Amino acid sequence: MSKCELAEMSTAKEQPGPSKPSGSAQEEKERDERMFECNICLDTAKDAVVSMCGHLFCWPCLYQWLETRPARQLCPVCKAAISKEKVIPLYGRGITKQEDPRNNVPPRPAGQRSEPEANAGFSGFGFGEGGFHMSFGIGAFPFGFFTSTFNFGETRPGAAPRGSPQFLEEQFLSKVFLWVALVFICWLVMA
Amino acid sequence: MAAMSPSERRLQKELMSLMREPPPGVHVDGDQAGQNLTQWIIHMEGAKGTLYEGERFQLQFKFSSKYPFDSPEVTFIGGNIPVHPHVYSNGHICLSILTDDWSPALSVQSVCLSIVSMLSSCKEKKRPPDNSFYVKTCNKNPKKTKWWYHDDSV
Repeated sequence: MSKCELAEMSTAKEQPGPSKPSGSAQEEKERDERMFECNICLDTAKDAVVSMCGHLFCWPCLYQWLETRPARQLCPVCKAAISKEKVIPLYGRGITKQEDPRNNVPPRPAGQRSEPEANAGFSGFGFGEGGFHMSFGIGAFPFGFFTSTFNFGETRPGAAPRGSPQFLEEQFLSKVFLWVALVFICWLVMA
Repeated sequence: MAAMSPSERRLQKELMSLMREPPPGVHVDGDQAGQNLTQWIIHMEGAKGTLYEGERFQLQFKFSSKYPFDSPEVTFIGGNIPVHPHVYSNGHICLSILTDDWSPALSVQSVCLSIVSMLSSCKEKKRPPDNSFYVKTCNKNPKKTKWWYHDDSV
């Protein structure tokens, strides 16, 4: 059989066709309602959900279909791979609580929302015209973390006894590092 | 009116739209279907410019209470069964959307269009190669047959 021909014919019929003379208000209303019909029961979708491929269903209708063929989770309209978890609920203005406790269809998945980005607020430092950003951090953080945390097995040697050549060496090294740090900080401040 | 089951509601809607705007060459027996929503007779004409031009066929649709989750049982009936490589002489049709590839978004109308297009793309009128064996051994219900869909060209 040829699916392409079938698809062509059925979509050609449904085209709204702005070239056609517009019908009565009744017809227009009917057409509007058909746009929100469930693709399975052909009624206006209740507990409406939309698949990732964009097709509208009643949640109970889609759920029942996916339960009927657990091995083939396909969109009834376009045969795209779909799943029960990956549908978007549609919340219209009129809240319809149509879930019947007698049927054992679980509630449809909730909508996924992300918080809007907080780009207003925090004007504590009045530097310039709001284009000032300040960040503070230590560049080598993760590596320092690794070396200090993941050194299992090896215990650190204790401090060398006072007066020994090793003690002097350590003192020298620590002074060198202190100066290096001071130079670095000065450079940061001047930059 | 008594409360209708979901399958009856959907069949009623399909019947109304099929009677109001039937596809070319397709005509539903509205009175008969209206009396018994679970069994329809569809009259079909062979499309112009095809091997079946001028022929008339009758299709029988039987719907279970699980329709549209369950596909309808569709067979050719009456005196003229089309001679086609996918249509057995007892009226059974080898068409994937009637079993494995059924989807509840399909309808009587789309099944009719598929069958018209299946007939229209035929190049040579002949019965399926295993016709006589199949007709002798098959179940009355074509949905009980384990079909092999191997020909995508028609």
